[in-house]
Amino acid sequence: MSIGWKSHLIEALHLPHTVAAIKAKAVPHHRSSIWYYFGGLALMFFTIQVVTGVMLLFYYEPTSDLAHKSIERIMTQVPFGWLVRSIHSWSANALMAMIFIHMFSAFLMKSYRAPRYVMWLTGIILLLLMMGFGFTGYLLPWDQTAYFATKIGTEVPKALPFIGGLITSLLTGAKDVNSTTLTRMFALHVGVLPAISILLVVVHIVLILLLGSGIPPGAKVTGETKYFPDYLLKEVMVWLIGFGLLIAIAVLYPWELGKAYDLANPTEPTAGVHPEWYFMSLFQTLKVIPEWFAIIVFGLLLVFWTFVPFLDRKAHRAEKSPLFTYFGIVAILYLCVMTTWAYIAVGNERDAAVQEQLRQTPRGGPNAK
Amino acid sequence: MTNDPNIKRRGILRALLAGATAVVIAPIIYVTARFLGYIRPNDSNQTSATVAFSDLTPENPSKLIQINDEPILVVREKDDQIRAFTATCTHLGCTVSYRPQVPDFYCKCHQGRYDVNGVNVPGTRPKSPLTELTVVDKGTELEIQLIPKVKSS
Repeated sequence: MSIGWKSHLIEALHLPHTVAAIKAKAVPHHRSSIWYYFGGLALMFFTIQVVTGVMLLFYYEPTSDLAHKSIERIMTQVPFGWLVRSIHSWSANALMAMIFIHMFSAFLMKSYRAPRYVMWLTGIILLLLMMGFGFTGYLLPWDQTAYFATKIGTEVPKALPFIGGLITSLLTGAKDVNSTTLTRMFALHVGVLPAISILLVVVHIVLILLLGSGIPPGAKVTGETKYFPDYLLKEVMVWLIGFGLLIAIAVLYPWELGKAYDLANPTEPTAGVHPEWYFMSLFQTLKVIPEWFAIIVFGLLLVFWTFVPFLDRKAHRAEKSPLFTYFGIVAILYLCVMTTWAYIAVGNERDAAVQEQLRQTPRGGPNAK
Repeated sequence: MTNDPNIKRRGILRALLAGATAVVIAPIIYVTARFLGYIRPNDSNQTSATVAFSDLTPENPSKLIQINDEPILVVREKDDQIRAFTATCTHLGCTVSYRPQVPDFYCKCHQGRYDVNGVNVPGTRPKSPLTELTVVDKGTELEIQLIPKVKSS
């Protein structure tokens, strides 16, 4: 009997409690329940990152001489290599987008309130780890944008008193960004960060299983869907849509590879060097206020954001806490405005560089006699 | 068999789900298999290498060289005849060495032996001979070509 071996296996693996928890799990219906899908989407994109990342590891060579060449080979010689790399790069961005939506929706739904604060804490650490993945992965192609963006990124902590220099030298492993830095970024990207992240993702998922979905204070629950198999099937459909969109974008807009950076022949950065979009608001803030001040303010905000479950006493008592809601909305607006401003500034810098080049070029074009 | 329409419908839905899963999974497996199945070609398309006569002395009568990732043993025999053999043991791929005092080709990994003509010695592990390669005399140098020597009968 098929039931027989299944229950034997569940017993043998000490899983009866887990299976019972999955069977008992139900997802509540209320006007904000659509936001529950974004955590699952983040998990799907994270899984894609792990799989495509391991695939790229089969061909990537992490030295300053070979990194760029090996990615060129992946993209031009290895069958579907261009696709695997394009998926890895696009999925990284999709993952960050899903994490931001997941985090802000959890914040506004007050899903952090007790007993779910450990979920919130692991979520914040996961956000930081994913940003770490983005930062360390950016250098790996060893192209010119990557080189200068990493230079800027590793310089920022220097503004911190006492420990700033130490953080920078821990990241670069040298006085300047060079081959040692690439090795360190690689070690962090494929060793340290995945090990911690996978562990925390598991904790995060086990907790949602044990604690159930958070319901916003005051929300009217109109019913519920059994997680297995009904909600899971719905979730799989959403994943399929996400996966389909990802593949379509990865195929139609293959991720580009910039010109290789040659340590022996240093070049100037091109105008408008900038990091990935999820660092842009921080990047723009650093442009308009002194670095040390920005780091302290962002540091304090991060501490506040992390410990919000312990500060929002009203939500803890299942009461509405509009002050925290407003804070969340202001944070979202700030990120949107600063990111837009950052992109406009980068565009202006590039335009100015083009104008400058035109002014320096003799009339009648560069070949005029 | 049952005539309950709900159970029939469930069977059809299950088949559809399995089919749809296969449609999603199959291309993923195909792409992954093609991606991982890539074999990197050699960067050099070398087909020959040169060895100086002076490299092969009565005291050191053999030299290990490499052509296109393939180890080759160039050997100066007692009668000063120069011959070249593939040095990859036909047993499990170790590199064989030349023992002038015996003389024979010897594989240290599993005590495999080949005679001076590269033929595997019965009773030792290798089951097929080494390949003798073409050696062209170019005056002071010898050109070893990655082409099996044509046996004169």
